[in-house]
Amino acid sequence: MESLILFASVILLLALGMPIGIALGLSSILIIAFFSNLSMSAVALELFTASQNYTLLAIPFFILASAFMSTGGVARRIIRFAIAVVGHFRGGLAMASVLACMLFAALSGSSPATVVAIGSIAIAGMTQVGYKKEFAAGIIANAGTLGILIPPSIVMVVYCAATNVSVGRMFLAGVVPGIVAGAMLMGTIYVVARVIGLPSEQWKGFREIVASGRDAGWGLFLIIIIIGGIYGGVFTPTEAAAIAAVYSFLIAIFIYRDMGPLKGRPWLAEADESTARIGFRASVYGLTFFLVWLTLSFFVTAEWESVTLRGRAALGLLLGTIVMAAYVLRRGEQSSIFDLPRYLARGASIWRRNLAMMAVCFAGAPFHDDTRKVLVDAAKTTIMLMFIIVNALLFAHVLTSERIPETITTMLLDYGFNWFTFLIAINLLLLLGGQFMEPSGLLLIVAPAVFPIAMQLEVDPIHLGIIMVVNMEIGMITPPIGLNLFVTSGITGMSLIQVVRAAMPFVAVLFVFLILVTYVPMLSTWLPYLLMGPELVAR
Amino acid sequence: MAVMISFIAALLLSVFLAERRHRDWVTRIEENILATLLGVITLVSFFQVIARYGFSTGWGGALEFTRILFAWLILLGMSYAVKINSHLGVDAVARLLPKPVFRGVMLLVACLAVFYALIFLYSDWLQWFGASTKGGALDYWAKIYRAGIGLDDIRNPDWARELFGLKERVPRWVAYTVLPVGLALLAYRCLEAVIGIIRGSREMMIVGHEAEELMAEKQRPIEE
Repeated sequence: MESLILFASVILLLALGMPIGIALGLSSILIIAFFSNLSMSAVALELFTASQNYTLLAIPFFILASAFMSTGGVARRIIRFAIAVVGHFRGGLAMASVLACMLFAALSGSSPATVVAIGSIAIAGMTQVGYKKEFAAGIIANAGTLGILIPPSIVMVVYCAATNVSVGRMFLAGVVPGIVAGAMLMGTIYVVARVIGLPSEQWKGFREIVASGRDAGWGLFLIIIIIGGIYGGVFTPTEAAAIAAVYSFLIAIFIYRDMGPLKGRPWLAEADESTARIGFRASVYGLTFFLVWLTLSFFVTAEWESVTLRGRAALGLLLGTIVMAAYVLRRGEQSSIFDLPRYLARGASIWRRNLAMMAVCFAGAPFHDDTRKVLVDAAKTTIMLMFIIVNALLFAHVLTSERIPETITTMLLDYGFNWFTFLIAINLLLLLGGQFMEPSGLLLIVAPAVFPIAMQLEVDPIHLGIIMVVNMEIGMITPPIGLNLFVTSGITGMSLIQVVRAAMPFVAVLFVFLILVTYVPMLSTWLPYLLMGPELVAR
Repeated sequence: MAVMISFIAALLLSVFLAERRHRDWVTRIEENILATLLGVITLVSFFQVIARYGFSTGWGGALEFTRILFAWLILLGMSYAVKINSHLGVDAVARLLPKPVFRGVMLLVACLAVFYALIFLYSDWLQWFGASTKGGALDYWAKIYRAGIGLDDIRNPDWARELFGLKERVPRWVAYTVLPVGLALLAYRCLEAVIGIIRGSREMMIVGHEAEELMAEKQRPIEE
């Protein structure tokens, strides 16, 4: 009885256009007020407690990291790298857009952010070389959904908070399906390109791959920090997210300089002579190698007792010097190993200039107008999401205290659901719900209700999570409420109907992918089990 | 409770008066508070990680501190989100209604949102309608205030303890202050939405999808 009223009032209030969070919260507290003896003080406290969930604290950090990374420069560099890698195939630019979306998805936790960052550059590029705009828009809308499948992913964090599954395992579980989905999209594009004759880009050689990869490397290194840190058992996901946020801030402001006080002031000036340039580049390579070495060896050896920081640093220093010398020998004209100090001394002048510039701006950077804008935007997104999540947690709390999940479990088991049919039912439920609801809110309502029965039927909790995420992806590109459709229509200026039609053929690919993910649990569970062992759930 | 009620009343009054003159100033202050909260949470978490893994040290209260600020960010931010109309909702169904009905429904929704905040704040009045509930955020805050217990890990600095004769740990009510204050602000902003809808200056209190603003910024249609 109460449960019927609860669900009915949520659906009614949602349909009437109430904010999702308030609709969930109001229904819950009315049920509590009229059907239980719980004091409202305890419920108000619940609101506070739900807001300080440590797992969910990763969400604002990932939003912040992706806000700094979305400033334009990173997306542009990633696209250049992607074109260098796959651009020379038939339909190469489209495939490169998919690859770029995958890479960007690995930096950001949200789909619309991926669509905006990659789409606003890639769609224009594709139409310029003769792709149809519809084709380009359809690809970006679909590939953008990988944002929530490829880790880090906000939706996954929400799922884990709702079901107490480990975020680290969940993130790892997204890697293989994400690559498979990307490969399926690229494969489809290749076939289509062969049939209708889409253009290919010129093969620029491995040099371009290395050059563009080096340029995008600062951004892409974030992937290694997040995944390496969590997998190496070094950080909790929330800590990794905090590191990611600060790292992206430093990269965006001081290295790429796309925003903030150093915007438009490049590292190298026109006037720098070639010796100084070579020396500077060599030292950058050496230093970068040293830092990357320190980070990676830390992740790998964090739990080995015989390895000390000093030992790693000494080895890193040696290897870094070798890298420096090698660069100088290759680039410098008729130079021997003994010229290295001369080059480095010249390069030091460039370092001095840049470091002075950074030092001047360092204290001011966190308060710069650009930084403030990113912070405010990230805060807005966080609040909007978290308000829904907090109220959905309240709702889930009422569900559990009314023992509704148990009721549903017994009911479904009585109907004779098994592993196979249950997964069909889950997919249908989520696909339907995904048409109308925002992903994290829907997930928080559905997950606590179906999790117990899934465990009864021996569905792997991580596999279930990936199924849910893929369903949310499809929900994002199907009308009436498809976030990626709105965003794509926004950045291309096409009408919503046009975008829907453009996206449809590729949605079919995602549907095939959904079936694959649903009935091949190995895809999701292989990597996390290999690296972290199976997820244990207390029944 | 009287302390909190007078504080809230003073806060709402000053917000009201300040916004009559300089609405954008108040917005800027709100934004700065939220941005600062987010920035501080991030930096504290970051340096905590560095301190712990790099130097095996750290601040024992960091975890509790960041979690409390996270709650502050959300609970203070929810009213700001109503103000700038950035709460998500489903508008597709309601838009099918005829215009006058639509307006009435939006008014009803906004009024219910005010009730949402009020019930959380103080729910005894629901008893008139037959509910068996009592208490609320105000009550809870008053209880904690009277009890005077401290937070788990956040201590007052030594100099402050000596100077003002404070207890060892920061009292718990400080952290919980945001609960009644945030809810009161939410009620106030929802009431503003009600008035806005009556006056016709505002259509509804939700946006259809989270990317509306994102798109408004990035709107640069691509030429064919």
